[in-house]
Formats: sequence, C-alpha cells, structure tokens
Amino acid sequence: MSSEPGGGNGDLEQPPAPEALATDPTAYAPSVGERLAIYQRAGGIVTPVITAVFAFFMGGIVVAATGHNPWKVYKGIFTGSGLNWFFHVGSYSITIPGTNHHVWFWWNTSIQSNAAYNLQQTLILTTTLSLTGLAVAFAFRCGLFNIGGQGQYLIGVITGLWIGTSFPHLARGPHIILAIVVASGCGAVWAAIAGFLKAATGAHEVITTIMLNWIAYWIGSYLLGQGGPLQNSFNPSLPVSNTVVNSAKLPVFWGNAALQALHIGFFIAIGALIAFWFILNRTTLGYEVRAVGFSPEAARYGGISIARNYVVAMAISGCFAGLAGVLDMLGYQYRFGVLDVQTSQLGFIGIAVALLGRNKAIGVALSALLFAALLYGTSTRSIDQTVLKPELAGNLTLMIQALVLLFVGADVLIMGLWQARRRLLPGRMKPSAPTAEAG
Amino acid sequence: MAARAEPRPQWRGLSPTQTASLGIFLGCFAFLLALPPITARAPWWPALVGIPAVGAGIWAVTSGVKRLGWLAVAAGILGTALGVLATHTSSSNLDYVASWTPLFTAMFAFATPLTFAAIGGMFAERSGVVNIGLEGMMLTGAFFAVLGADKLGNWALGLLCAVVAGGVAALIHAFVSIHLRADQIVSGTAINFLALGVTGYFFIQVYGDNGTPGSIPRVPDVNLSIIDGIPFIGPVFGHLNLMIWLTFVTLIVSYVVMFRTPIGLRIRSVGEHPRAADTVGISVYKIRYAAVTLSGMLAALGGAYLSIGFVGSFNENMTAGRGFIGLAALIFGNWRPFGAFAAALLFGFSTALSFRLAQPWGNAAVLFQALPYVLTLIAVAGVIGRSIPPAASGRPYRKQ
Amino acid sequence: MDAAPVLELRGITKQFPGVLANDHVDFDLKRGEVHALLGENGAGKSTLMNILYGLYSADEGEILVNGKPVTFSSPHDAIEQGIGMVHQHFMLIPVMTVTENIVLASEPTTAGVLLDYAGARKQVEEISQRFGFAIDPDARIQDITVGQQQRVEILKTLYRNADILILDEPTAVLTPQEATELFAILKGLVAEGMSIIFISHKLNEVLEIAGRVTVLRRGKRVDTIPREGATEASLARSMVGREVLLRVDKKPASPGGILMHVQDVHVFDDRGLEAVRGVSLDVRAGEIVGIAGVDGNGQTELIDALTGLRRPAGGRIEIEGHDLTNSNANAHLEAGLGHIPEDRQRRGLVLEFSLAENLVLHDYDKQPYSRFGALSPRRILARARKLLTDYDVRGGGPRTPASALSGGNQQKVVVAREVSRNPRVLIAAQPTRGLDVGAIEFVHRQLVAERDTGRGVLLVSLELDEILSLSDRILVLYEGRIVGEYSPDATEEELGIAMTGGRREEAAA
Repeated sequence: MSSEPGGGNGDLEQPPAPEALATDPTAYAPSVGERLAIYQRAGGIVTPVITAVFAFFMGGIVVAATGHNPWKVYKGIFTGSGLNWFFHVGSYSITIPGTNHHVWFWWNTSIQSNAAYNLQQTLILTTTLSLTGLAVAFAFRCGLFNIGGQGQYLIGVITGLWIGTSFPHLARGPHIILAIVVASGCGAVWAAIAGFLKAATGAHEVITTIMLNWIAYWIGSYLLGQGGPLQNSFNPSLPVSNTVVNSAKLPVFWGNAALQALHIGFFIAIGALIAFWFILNRTTLGYEVRAVGFSPEAARYGGISIARNYVVAMAISGCFAGLAGVLDMLGYQYRFGVLDVQTSQLGFIGIAVALLGRNKAIGVALSALLFAALLYGTSTRSIDQTVLKPELAGNLTLMIQALVLLFVGADVLIMGLWQARRRLLPGRMKPSAPTAEAG
Repeated sequence: MAARAEPRPQWRGLSPTQTASLGIFLGCFAFLLALPPITARAPWWPALVGIPAVGAGIWAVTSGVKRLGWLAVAAGILGTALGVLATHTSSSNLDYVASWTPLFTAMFAFATPLTFAAIGGMFAERSGVVNIGLEGMMLTGAFFAVLGADKLGNWALGLLCAVVAGGVAALIHAFVSIHLRADQIVSGTAINFLALGVTGYFFIQVYGDNGTPGSIPRVPDVNLSIIDGIPFIGPVFGHLNLMIWLTFVTLIVSYVVMFRTPIGLRIRSVGEHPRAADTVGISVYKIRYAAVTLSGMLAALGGAYLSIGFVGSFNENMTAGRGFIGLAALIFGNWRPFGAFAAALLFGFSTALSFRLAQPWGNAAVLFQALPYVLTLIAVAGVIGRSIPPAASGRPYRKQ
Repeated sequence: MDAAPVLELRGITKQFPGVLANDHVDFDLKRGEVHALLGENGAGKSTLMNILYGLYSADEGEILVNGKPVTFSSPHDAIEQGIGMVHQHFMLIPVMTVTENIVLASEPTTAGVLLDYAGARKQVEEISQRFGFAIDPDARIQDITVGQQQRVEILKTLYRNADILILDEPTAVLTPQEATELFAILKGLVAEGMSIIFISHKLNEVLEIAGRVTVLRRGKRVDTIPREGATEASLARSMVGREVLLRVDKKPASPGGILMHVQDVHVFDDRGLEAVRGVSLDVRAGEIVGIAGVDGNGQTELIDALTGLRRPAGGRIEIEGHDLTNSNANAHLEAGLGHIPEDRQRRGLVLEFSLAENLVLHDYDKQPYSRFGALSPRRILARARKLLTDYDVRGGGPRTPASALSGGNQQKVVVAREVSRNPRVLIAAQPTRGLDVGAIEFVHRQLVAERDTGRGVLLVSLELDEILSLSDRILVLYEGRIVGEYSPDATEEELGIAMTGGRREEAAA
C-alpha cells in the first residue's frame, strides 16, 4: 500500500483485489492512518505553525463577524492562559525543596501572582493533553487511527477513581503506584480490544474505537449515576462519586494545593514524552511499529508480525490515555460525576494535538501546550467577561480546534506533493506517473 | 467461491436457512410468551419454545448455514433465559416496561434521526467517501431548523434552513476530502467539532441565557383518525410526526435510487472502483460531491426532526452522539437502506426500552444505551457475518 | 484491406516530470488490420494509448479519426468516436455483475428513470452470441476467471459500438490456452470489420497475430514494418537497440550437496484455486537454478511458500535438512534463506525508513544490533556504512530515506541486505525488473558471486534471456507443475514451447 501520492509505479489507488481480503488483514478496508505516514517525512516546524496561525486567523474572523474584537479576545486568552508569565522576567528567587536555601531565578514563582496561577492551570491541562495526544500519535505511527482516546481516558479516570477511593489504609507511595498501574493497564486493555479486532478480523479501528468510546461513556454514566456502584455514600440524589482519599492524591509542587495546584503528574507526562520517543526510535518494538505503519507489506516480508504489532501499538496508546485519566483524577480532579463523564472532551482534543504535532514527541508537547492554553484561557475562570462571554469563548476553542484539523488534513497534501517532487529522479526506466494536481 | 457439489440436507422439507429462520422466530417467541399480553407465568413455557429454537439453530449450523444458525441458537438461549426471568418478575413491572404501544411509538421517534443519518451516510459511503461528520451535520441541522423556524415563522422554512446548512457543512467536508484529498476521518472529525463550536457559539449569541423561545413552530403530527380503531396499529401509527412518515418515503426513494436506477449504479461503481468508473466516462468528483452533500442534507433533516419535530427547542450538543449511532446503524445494516432502517429501529427500540426499564431497574437501565454500540462492534468484527464496506471507501481519488 | 487509415496519430509528444514518455510519435491504423505496438517496459506504449483513449492529453500532436481531427478530453469522447480500450489492469467492479459492468454509464432505462436490467441483459446476450463469447450475464466479476473477465472488458467496448479496439498487454494475465482463445476472438472481431491495436512486449505473440508492427523505444517510434518481413531477432534488435542476449561471464558450476529440498508442494492462491500442483525441486550448493515460465503459472505462490509467507497445502520444504514446511517467514529467514522480492518498493524496502534501518530489516532484534529490546544505533549505522560502500550504493548515506534512491540503487540495497546475511539459499524473484543496464549487470554479478561462494540460488524470472544467461539448470513452470528441465544450452524456442504447454504430456508425474 503505497503511501505517497504521485505514485512510483503507475498503479494508483486500486482497491485491493477481493482475493487479497482472505489472507491479509491490512488489505481489508486499509486503515486511513497508513496514509498519514506522510507526516513522518514532513519535517520541520513551519507547516504546523502556519496551520495553527491560519486556524486562529479564521477563528478571529468569526469573532469579528459577531461584533467582538478579535485582537482583544486573543490577548485575553493569552493572559488568561498564563503564558504571559514567561514574559515577566526579573530578579526573583526560588527555594530548593527540602532546604531553606534560596537561589536566584529570573521568573516569579511566587504563588500569589495571577499569571502564575493561570500558568499552573494551563500546565495541568498540558499534562493531560500531551498524554492523550501521545495516545493518538503512537497508534498513528503504526498506521492506526485511534479515535478512542476519550474512552480510554475515561476508563483510566474511573479505574483511578475506584482505586483512589478504596484501600484507605495503604501508604501513599504504593497507593498511587497501584492506581497508576491499574488504570493505565485498563486503558491499555480497552484500546487493545480494538487492536485485537483489527488484527483478527480486519475490523476498521476507527469504527471500533468510536463504539468503545460510547460504551465507556455509558459505563461511566451507570457507575456514577444514582444508585451506581461508584456513587458517593453521603448524598444519594447526587450523581457524583466519593472523593479520592488523601493518601492517593498526587503531591503538588507549585501552587496552592487548596486551589488546584500543579501536581507531579506534570513530570510523569514529561517522562511519558521521553518514553514515547525512546520506544519508537530506540527499541526493537518501535522499529516494528514504525515498519508496520509505513509499509505493512515490507514488514511482513521482513518477518514482522503485523497482527501482533497492531495489538501492541493500540495497547500502548491506550496506556497513555489511561495514564492521562488517572493522573487527572489523582492530581486535581479528586472526584467525578455523570456530568463530567458526559462533558469530557480531553480525549478528543488529543486527536488535534497529535495531528498538529505531527505524531512526534516534541510536536505533541508543544501542541498540547497550545491547546491547553487555548482551553484554559477561554474557560469561565479565566476569560475577561467584557471581552467575550466564556460560553462563547468555549465554543471558539472548539471552532479553532476544528479548523486546525481541517487545515492539517489539507496541508498533508501540500507536504506530500513537495516530497513526491523530490523523489521523481531522472534515470529510472519506467516513466513515472504524473504528479496529479487537484481537480 | 466454488459451487457446492452436494445439495443441502433438508429437515421435513425445510432447508437449513428456513429452519434457522424458524429457530430465530421461536427464540423470540419464547421471550414474548412471558410478556404482556400473553403473560405466561410458568417458567417452563418459554423453555418449551426456546429449546427447540436452539436445536434448530444447531442443526442449521452443522448444515452449513452458519450466520443464521448461530443467530437462532442465540435467540433460543436468550429467549428462554429472558422468558424465564420475566416469569419471575412482578406483573406490574412487566406491564409497565412491556407496554408495547408507547414502546413502539417511542421506537419510531428515536429511530427517525438515526435513519436519516444512516441513509445520508449510505450515499456518501457508497460513493467512496467516509462520513464521520454525520453527527456534526445533524447538529447543524438541529440548530438551523430552530433558527429558521423561529426567525422565518414557519416549520417548513425551518426545515429548508436545516437542509441548506447541512449541505454547506457537507460541502466543506467534501471539498477538503475530495479536492484537497485530505484524510476523510480527520475531516469528518473536524466537521463534528466545527458544528459543535458554530452551533454553540451562535446559539449563545442569538438566544443568550434564556435559550430558544417556547413557541417555535414545530413539524406537525399526522393524525390518521381512520385507523384509530384498529388495535395496536391504530395507537402506534395514528399520531406519528410528519417527519417519521417522511422517513418511510425517504427509505423507499433511496432504495429505488441506489439499486434500481442508473445513477445509483454509477454511485456504487464510484465507491467500489473509481478508476473503472472514470474510464467509462463517469465523473468521480461530481458524483462524490453530490453524494456527500446529500448525506449532509439528510443528516440535517434528522437533526431538524430532533429540534423542531420532537423536542421543540435547541440545546448545545443536543444530538449527543445520535449521528454516530446512525453510522452504526448503517454499518450494522450492511450499507443498505432497509437494513440500516431495521438496525435503527432496533437501536431506537433499545433506547425506548432503557427509559422504560429505568423504573424497575433504576440506574442500570442506562447500560441499555450502550447496546447499539456493542451490537455494531459485534457486526464489524464479523461475528454475525462480515459487514463489508464499498471497496474504495475512504481512499481519495486521483484523476490523471 | 482499405487504403485510407481509420485512425492516425501524428507527432504525439507527452512529457512527464523527469521523463519524455512520447517523442513525436506517428502511428496509423488501417481498417480491418491488427497493428501491434511493440516495446520494452517503459518505452511509451501505454502512454500513447492512454492519450488516444482520452485519459491523458498530449502536449503536442494531433489525432485523426477517419481523416477528421479530434480532441479527446475524457474517455467519453474517445468512446463516442468508436474507440474502445481493454486495459492491462481490468477496469471491472468485482461485486457487480457482468451486465452491470458492461452497461455502466450507458445504461438502458425504463421511463427514463429506472434501470432496465432485463433489457440490458438481453443486449449483452445478443452481443456475446454474435461474437461467439460464452458469458453468463448475471455472474459477478469476482466469481469468473481472468480470461472471462477480459472478455467482459471486450464486450464493454462492443456494447458501445467500438470499431477500434485497443488491447494493452492482454496476454499478461492469461494462461496460454486463454491466450489462444483470445487470438481466435480477435480474428473473429477483425472479420466483423474491427480494427485492433495490440500492445505487447512479447515477440512471438506479435508475430502470430499482427499484420503490421510498430516498435517504440524510449518514447520514439523506431520502425513500422509488415509482419512478412519481420523475425523475432529483427524485432528484438529494434526494441532494444543492441544485441539482446547478455551472457554473463561465469565459470562452469560445480554443484555440491543439496541445500534446499522441495518435495511435491501444493499451494493454493488467494482465490482458493490450486496454483502449485506438486512441484519438486532441489537447489544444490554452488548452482543457480532458474525457473522459467509465463506470469501467472504459480511462480508467486511457489515463492510465497518457499519463503514462509504462505502455508503449503501439501508437500515438504527443507533447508539443510530442517523441515520448514509449516513455518513462518521468520523461521525461514533464520534457517538460512535469503529473499530478493519481486516488488522492491512495496516488499523489499520500507521507503520511509533510512537505508540503515532498511539494512537491518531482518536482524534488528538480534545482537549486536539490539540488546534487551533496545536498538544500538551506532552499530546499525556502522554496518550500513560498510554495506553501502561494499555494494557501491549511490544516492545517499546511511541516514537517507530509501525513497530518495533510484530503482537501481534501491535494488542494490536489497541485494546488499540479503547477501550480507550469508544465506544458504538465495531466492531472487524478478531481480532486475525495471532496472537500467548497469544495475542489471550488478545484480547478475552478485548472483553469480553467490553461487561461486558455494551458496544455492533460485532465480525466478519472466525474462528468458536472464534465465538462459545465468542459470546452471533451468526448470520450466507451467500451470503449477514443473514440465521440464533444461540445460542453459537450450534454445529459446524449446523453452518457449514448454512454457506455453507444448511439453504438457511429458510433465513429471
């Protein structure tokens, strides 16, 4: 299955012969993610930046068309997200943890400032979004489209909640580790269902993961609803869970813990980004995953098992998403309700994060930061009401996200054309098929 | 496939396929026995009918009719189990839950948006373009139907606005995935977010904190007083909304168009093998554009039914995943209109059932809402026979 | 035969990025003749015909039908002028019936709205009876044989009243009997007044069916000659521009012990038909065994079985005594098999991977390239550097993506990878397809070198001269069976007869 447009051998986009269906799971309704392998060749930061700028620009037009000042709106979002904190450079100091020693630092880490608070919240969201972004990105690298990040996230949240509200006599360390391991594992299993179905039956992972999203949604609604097993024990009419016990809460390191501070999950997310890069580029597993993602046929001829890699890649993806869920639960959420289940979007935003970030670790990190800033900057707690109503701002975020996705989808083509041009070298015997233009 | 050499075995003159169908029927009947209006209370009644169903199914499987045979076995086991369970439930609960008239009326109401979305999806998919954005197009239709009906004062104009808006949303998807050859899943997902954002934004902008006014012109019900007297048919079909009747019309028209007209043949050829269609002079681009736009318009009609036909107002994200259930119905129904409709009815029935079950079961009834997704998962995995999409579905076409 | 040409192409020129596919080509077709268009892969034959059929547009030149200049912007226009084309890859929709495929886009209707399937079926039956085809109009394309599918393609053109028929490499997918049937059909069509353009690169067919032959080479028209004056040798010389047979310098073989033993292997293809029907062969150390045959006689399935990509339905495959009949690809590679696959871009290489990554495709999970699951980039790069130098791969270094290399250099990478693993047996499938002369020589030298170091080489190729020049023993594969064994002194004629079924009666039991 050639993934470059313009074709190298004249046989373009033929549907697979019916005979091929019987033996090869990749021949059957091939994953659309395989074509997205082009991202891996589209190097550089320029295109994602242009895409993002364009999306913001279009969003600004909508804002302007409805009578608001786009410049003020974006400035408000910027301040609201706390990113302006990086621009207040001066002479401050920080205390080394565990001692009383002060060290000079050029940023104001005092937890009193508004900008610092906003930044903490943005970074909390960045933690989540980088992990849900990794969940989508890892699967893409194997040629699979994991839209199931939302469901896998929910499974992680709920499992983390269950463990966090049980075992009150466990010490802090083991309690947290237990929750993280089990929740990530459950997220992995949830995703592996789709991977297994694809490997065994050829079922398209987009469909199966979407179905699994909704199944998780309803399971969550049941568990946390009135009379549900995870509902709280003090108010039966409130479809919310118990609060996580203190021994399961993640330690915070910046900010006022009573007001939602930045928790160490932030570092775990950074670790996950590094692990993502390491697994893909420095391990045999990653080698196989990438080979299957780029060229399943060549991988098969090389002796690599496509089916096994589908399952493993989906499992690792689900693990990332589940991890996002449990870190959120133990880091700042502490409880969950049916309403939270039904309005949660963080798994879905991971799709835009991964695509804008070109399915690479550094890209995912930066694009997670961007979306987190956008998400928090437009939230009720932070946006200036006179500039734009928070409900409108929230919808603006959705629109910008959508525009990013639309433009990302289209700029793949532009990158692809550019790459294809470089590959049509003189001196090959067969005349190459023409590089087709649109229309 | 090689032709079978020996003729299939028969049982008392019934072919294995017929026996399997009989088994499915008996399995369902085993359950129905325990429900009103028959309400048999002795548990061995369902067993008496259900066990032969299992037997019929097994026989069919061993004679080679796997799909229907296993369905019969499943129906037999489920029917017996549920029937026995029902005989142990209180009569009043049974009467409440299994009140057929409200159940069937609700089933049609729930199935209508699903059907519109599914048929829209069928046109797009059969032309080779995956349309994940049905949910967004449905939501767009819901909002603009309300907006149109409110500002223009007339439900028909509201429908028209919905159709236009859905068509525009679909055109974006069409342009990005056909002309720019972007990934169709990404583009469809983008449309969902875009619709969510746009409808939410303008909903707040126009209607603010108070929401839509209570007096929006609604699509009327069709009251057929003639059939009121007929038991069961009368109450169920006598007061259905106009749009539900429109669903039936759309079903028939779409079946005829897709499978009995030249244009349908061409659409299907574009979806199976666009290069072949191109070489006989069919314009792949035009057909795909038309099909995708149509899918948006139909999905929007489904959404419009939701807002100005059923509920009477608009709320943010009011479609709440129905577009995806519609997509599921399409897949479950094997990309054919009547199959999709049957699936939509099944899903609509299970939703209606879940609301009724809330009384005796409480919270657990919510799990029933997940049934459509579980069933589709099974269908896609090929457990009940494989659902095969059009061969070229999802691949952009490159014209030389 | 009529004097005035029914079709004329004058000065057709078409440029693609990087290559001039057609260079001021002239071509004409008389009524009632079969005119063959001959040339190697890449000579420009298909491009020329695609221009004629309206799928491409020419940069320069004109087309005249019955003396009138015409322009085609789509196949629709060409069809209206009576031109029909049967492509090499069939343009048929597998899930639809024969009738639906034939009438697509020109459907008969009732009341202008509904599809008149019964009427369509009747028309299809009429046409097929008139021209002597035996086709079930209600059969689905996926259920009929390739030969029948081709007939459906021809019927498509007849349904649209074509009187000029273009056939693009029609026998590439046919068995020899089906090819003979096709020629009979073509003669019948000509008798009914059709004019046929027959594209091929097979000399014997062209001489059998054509009245005139036009030879294209690298985009230019070289010659147009009547059949009477032509011989295979003269045509071959025009096609290639030099003496055809490349005999590689090689020492005589001294075969040693049996390295690979294949016994009575049966393999089914993807459609469930038996493609390999009891093949037995041995590959000894120090010899090159060549398998000759027309495409589609079971070569692909045989190779799939020998390399572990397909499980044989019966028989035994052994490498150095180890039974590998039911093992997967990995096991075969471990047991000492090397495989140069026929499609280097799809199967031999991961184009997006760097050369270094491609070179470790079989060994990435072994020491020293990885340990406990972690790769060792330094060692991988070091090996790549060595191999790229040893095998003279040009166009990039270890970190260059494979897609940036030319076909010849890509094949060098594949060869380097396979050969450097020191396999006991090397299977080479179409190793020089699409390569230029220099790359072909390189590959041939490698294969001979392998043989000289005591390995066994199994060469499967559709090019007879390659088989003849390289092999120490030649086996002919026909309809899934080995029908004869020959020495390299055999003539092309002898082999050709065996390849087309002439030796069927003498096939090994």
